[in-house]
Amino acid sequence: VCSLFVRMGLSLLARLEGRSSLKNLEPYLFAEEGSPVHGDVVEFHGPEGTGKTEMLYHLIARCIIPKTEGGLEVEVMFVDTDYHFDMLRLVTILENRLAQGTEEMIKQCLGRLFLVSCNSSTQLLLTLYSLENLFCAHPSLCVLLLDSLSAFYWIDRSNGGESLTLQEMNLKKCANFLEKLVTQHHLILFATTQTLMQKSANSAESFFPLKLPHETDTDYRPYLCKSWQQMVTHRIFFSKQCNSGNSTGFTVISCHLKRNQIVKRSFSVAECGVQF
Amino acid sequence: MVVLRAGLCPGLTEEMIQLLRANGIRTVVDFVSSDLENVAWKCSLSYKALVAVRRVLLAQFSAFPANGADLYEELKSSTAILPTGSPSLDQLLDSGLYTGEVTELMGAPGSGKTQVCLGIAASVSLGLKQHVLFLDSTGGFTASRLYQMLRAQTEDEEEQLEALQRIQVVRVFNIYELLSALQELRDQLQGLCVVSSVGPLKLVVLDSVSAVIYPLLGGRQSEGLALMMQLSKELKTLAREFSLAVVVTNQVTRDGSTGPLKPALGRSWSFVPSTRLLLESREAPWEKATTQRVASLAKSPRQPTGVQVELDIGNGDVLEPSPVTPAQGL
Repeated sequence: VCSLFVRMGLSLLARLEGRSSLKNLEPYLFAEEGSPVHGDVVEFHGPEGTGKTEMLYHLIARCIIPKTEGGLEVEVMFVDTDYHFDMLRLVTILENRLAQGTEEMIKQCLGRLFLVSCNSSTQLLLTLYSLENLFCAHPSLCVLLLDSLSAFYWIDRSNGGESLTLQEMNLKKCANFLEKLVTQHHLILFATTQTLMQKSANSAESFFPLKLPHETDTDYRPYLCKSWQQMVTHRIFFSKQCNSGNSTGFTVISCHLKRNQIVKRSFSVAECGVQF
Repeated sequence: MVVLRAGLCPGLTEEMIQLLRANGIRTVVDFVSSDLENVAWKCSLSYKALVAVRRVLLAQFSAFPANGADLYEELKSSTAILPTGSPSLDQLLDSGLYTGEVTELMGAPGSGKTQVCLGIAASVSLGLKQHVLFLDSTGGFTASRLYQMLRAQTEDEEEQLEALQRIQVVRVFNIYELLSALQELRDQLQGLCVVSSVGPLKLVVLDSVSAVIYPLLGGRQSEGLALMMQLSKELKTLAREFSLAVVVTNQVTRDGSTGPLKPALGRSWSFVPSTRLLLESREAPWEKATTQRVASLAKSPRQPTGVQVELDIGNGDVLEPSPVTPAQGL
């Protein structure tokens, strides 16, 4: 009994330790004092080629690089529904960021990353259910990434026929279970959603709780199920500007939905990944 | 959606299924997402047995997570980069086409998409001695042109013939023919482990994707879009699971009359390819009769976008005397 207590105490400690350290995940991505804490759900939203996946690589690298090299040294679960994850790209970023980017060191970092690919919303749901055990067994596994949540949108919509309930059934179950996972296991969830639809012209109501200058107007139309919309605590809009010459600049507008804070930041993407 | 039936997994008996069905639990999803304590009580089934069945069902139907370090090890041995045969194109693509990815060539009619596809097929077949599947949805595949390209690269007739034999052409004129061709390919590749009837396939070319998708859009959109996403999933999973490089061609469109060129087929498709090249043809400034072809990188997980190179399609051999169309090998 004693040893069990000790073990539980240790895993609790590990979790608490993780909790404090995640503050430094990427302060630039969030409004001041608005960095996500365990239990938060962050949505990355934007059109194709605006740096969402690249930002996820950045976060993964931040998490899996050891503390001695300035990383957070925590474990990450990446759920790939778009079959988009590029391991070689991640390795390039790691090589650039590690003082000693030896093969051994890279593999040590990658050992903190778990990857799973899903090819349908049903498989996604069942996979999320099955991940629960893994989260229980790995206390330092505290970041969950999902790229993307909108991957099965059209297929589900068509399969559901005329009934909206049926169309959204799997995604709603996924969202509800994600919420449970995030709360019970003290995770931070980052999920991307793609801009699949144009903002409808007749919707007069603005999404933003605060007045924004005209230039930051985003092409946003929520289309995923209500359960998801309601659990998101931070929504970050990605966009891209083509500057003169060949350089491309990226912009994020980060909204802390619970506190009505908004911040706008620019970043660029280089060989070593995202740079603010 | 998998319906519960006896024999689906150990421990799941016909009697259990009847009881579950009476309580509205029909599918695997219904079962694993219900509160088993409640189900045990309502169906008077053993809670322990239900938990055991749930565990087996989850193991059977969920995807299994891999560790990053293991996956990296595996990728190092399975990933190949296929040179396209055009040095300037290789430069844009960071030395060639990566297996495991979908690469899109977009461009207006006459910008050289099919020519580039034929060039890549020729190079992979002749230079790398790898097999190629060419899915032709427009009737644009020209055997004589391919033969011409091969002849420009080697004088050895034996080699030319072998290269032609490694390129399999399938004509698919609608989405259903295309999906069934891909299904057939999957069956073949899975069977390959047992009997090796065909050589190793490394490249699948689909020229063009817009030709099969356009007719689906409009009208009841969500059905067409669902089929389009089904196709994208099929292409991407084939690329991943069997380490294939997949090349698709697409039309271009623009917002209004002045916006920048962007891929056709709308937003949902725009997310599909990992790498995207824009092909354009321009009149050469010094000579009106010749057109200059330019390729630029529109999307890439590796390289900065926007870089432009000049393309040398067919390096002059277009002017050769008309070749003989080969009868064999296609």
